[in-house]
Amino acid sequence: MNLRLLYLARNLTRNRIRTALTCAAVALPIIIYVLSTAVVEGYEEFLEQAARELRLAVTQRTSIINPLPAGHRPKIESLDPTGARLVAVCGMRWIGGRIENDPRPLSTLAVDADTFPTSFPEYLRSPDEREAWVRDKQALIIGRGVAGQFGWKKGDRVTIVPSVPPYTPMEFHVVSTSEEASDPLTNWFRRDYLEEELRKSGAPEGLVSFFFIKCGSKADLDHFRVAIDALFARSPDETKTQDEKTFMNEYVTQQFNLPRNLRILAAVTVFVAVMAAANTMSMNFRDRISEYATLKSMGFSGGIVFTMIQSESLLTCAAGGIAGAAVPYVLFTHTPMKNFTVPLIQHLDIAPAVCGQAVLIALAIGLLAGAWPSWLAVRLHVVTALRSLE
Amino acid sequence: MALPISYHWRNLFVRKTTTALTMGVVAAVVGVFAWMLGFSAALDDSLSVASDDRKLIVLKPGATAESNSAIPIEDYNRLNQLTELARTDAGSLQSPEMLVQISLPRLRDGGRTAANVAVRGVTETAFRVHTTVKIVAGRTFNPAAREVIVGRAAAAQFAGLQIGSTLNLGYSGDRGYQIVGHFSADGGPLESEIWGYLPSLLNAYNRTMYSSANLRLRDGADPKAVIGEIEGPAIQLSAQTEPAYWQEQSRNIRTYLGIANFLVAIMCIAAVFSIANTMFASVAGRTREIAMLRTIGFSGGQILTGFVIESVLLSLIGGLIGCAGTLAYLQLAGSTKDMFGSTTFTTLAFDIRLSPLIVAKALGLVTLVGIIGAAVPARRAARVQVVNALRAE
Repeated sequence: MNLRLLYLARNLTRNRIRTALTCAAVALPIIIYVLSTAVVEGYEEFLEQAARELRLAVTQRTSIINPLPAGHRPKIESLDPTGARLVAVCGMRWIGGRIENDPRPLSTLAVDADTFPTSFPEYLRSPDEREAWVRDKQALIIGRGVAGQFGWKKGDRVTIVPSVPPYTPMEFHVVSTSEEASDPLTNWFRRDYLEEELRKSGAPEGLVSFFFIKCGSKADLDHFRVAIDALFARSPDETKTQDEKTFMNEYVTQQFNLPRNLRILAAVTVFVAVMAAANTMSMNFRDRISEYATLKSMGFSGGIVFTMIQSESLLTCAAGGIAGAAVPYVLFTHTPMKNFTVPLIQHLDIAPAVCGQAVLIALAIGLLAGAWPSWLAVRLHVVTALRSLE
Repeated sequence: MALPISYHWRNLFVRKTTTALTMGVVAAVVGVFAWMLGFSAALDDSLSVASDDRKLIVLKPGATAESNSAIPIEDYNRLNQLTELARTDAGSLQSPEMLVQISLPRLRDGGRTAANVAVRGVTETAFRVHTTVKIVAGRTFNPAAREVIVGRAAAAQFAGLQIGSTLNLGYSGDRGYQIVGHFSADGGPLESEIWGYLPSLLNAYNRTMYSSANLRLRDGADPKAVIGEIEGPAIQLSAQTEPAYWQEQSRNIRTYLGIANFLVAIMCIAAVFSIANTMFASVAGRTREIAMLRTIGFSGGQILTGFVIESVLLSLIGGLIGCAGTLAYLQLAGSTKDMFGSTTFTTLAFDIRLSPLIVAKALGLVTLVGIIGAAVPARRAARVQVVNALRAE
């Protein structure tokens, strides 16, 4: 047994450059696989989070840019006067926004101050944050990603210029950096403050971009998705109600279907790794054909030769796989790279499960790469192989 | 005298499996690279058409896009004092416009998803400001009737936009407009839009304000100076040149393409390693042959070049296969794509094509990969000790 292990070790170190290059050629695609999968999973996690919150999004029927009257809120609330199934209705107005002399666009929403904390319990976690939100009309909750990008922190005074009417600079006080929310990029402030500014500028008031509705259970969610649209059917302001996950997914894939493209990319890279490793194993086979013939002529069974080649292939690819999984893991969890931001997902979390999956894939690559040469070795006709030697 | 190309060519087929697998690696990498180049190029092409810097887009200060800008008519009228605008007999070339959108099913996935297509309200002046817009089928809309015309790209990618069909527009989606023509705009972003008569659409969408004004400057006018005047105290609106506006709108997607580019760069390194591996094996298997070539008078430099050529040949074939694969993919899976403006929330449709330039760029990358991959093995080949190598075995 020991002799066989020694033989395997010698085989691996016989052509060190080749083994190293193969490891690297497997490791690099695995790195890509881990990174793309992490992004895709982060995105899916974001959507799952959205689904767990049991919220509906109500927009104007024909287009998300058409506003709805804020007066829809009491009508929606009247669908469930008990407030048990329809927990809270929160009207929102998108103002986008920028800070002066900075081209980076913000995503800022004006929300109904009274129902926001119940509708979005993932924000304003501490009592003093909630108290500041209630007390201060100019309160602003910023996404933690925004906090990082602009260097804003709790207690700061910031000025945002809305991208929609009133277009005049508005001053805010940061009351929270929403550490526990899954959406790191959106900022929230009180809609009564926006209405006040709109009144000053003479722009139309009492409009919202959409409503978010917190439901009591999954069944309520399904019920009200239909009931709300039925309520406003054939009125001048018809609505389109979707659950939050569908709403978010539509919004994101509209921009660029990154998850789909990354999945394709990951598949292609695995294919690249298979070919690179298979290439090495077939070169090894070619170089050692006389050796395999000799082994077999000495009485070693085809099975042993088969195992030998497969183990070599598996070991090489496993080494590549482990390296390929470890690099992004270490880079994005233990170095300054962990602050790297991806749109939407923001923080790139390399889950150990994804790394484990990547190593398994590397093993599969090894199996595939060794399959053809080891099969040839089993079938190898000793006499012909020995005769073909010079 | 250098080694003949046919020598390298035949060498590639001595080790068929290895050659095929290496080509496969290169093909996969190049295929992805070509697709991404095609994507960026399609995007750039579409946006570069919109790079007329004598065209200004005027918005309400603070607004980031036409779709979230609202210009009251009295503000718009202040633009009349501009002196640097181009003029025709019908007046100066300033076009008041309104931009809304309609959600239309994508043809590409059988209508499973919908895109936000821009609907632009215009007057006759718009056709003189946006000079690229030309009717390619049917006729233009009649201001007195509920009629619209549709951009070529939109008609090709979204459902229900054939000439003769009716489109439900308006705030409640209850005003039927008949489609009477298709227009082109040199492949620019306007081709993704639907155009109708401004007063009619303002009414349909309960609006009293314009979204934007598009201006055409007279020859020799300095866009910067005019922008300064528009943003100054007398007018108090904000203006951008057309290229600046579209560059901003494609910012998001460029981030995504950047990420994808980075991943492809990693794949290229993997391909380099794979080629190096193959070339090392090729050099090792031909040590005696190399020594023989040296004895009959070929120099180390010629041997080195020879191996590099062989590697480049290998990669180029792989590259061609990759490009062909991408072409086939675009044929089968469809080449239409659309993009969502960062803040417009409207869709820009375009078509990915593998132009000769893109293929040339992809093959250029492949050549580079081949050269780098062969560098070390070829040096080793050039340094083969002639006497030792001939003596061996």
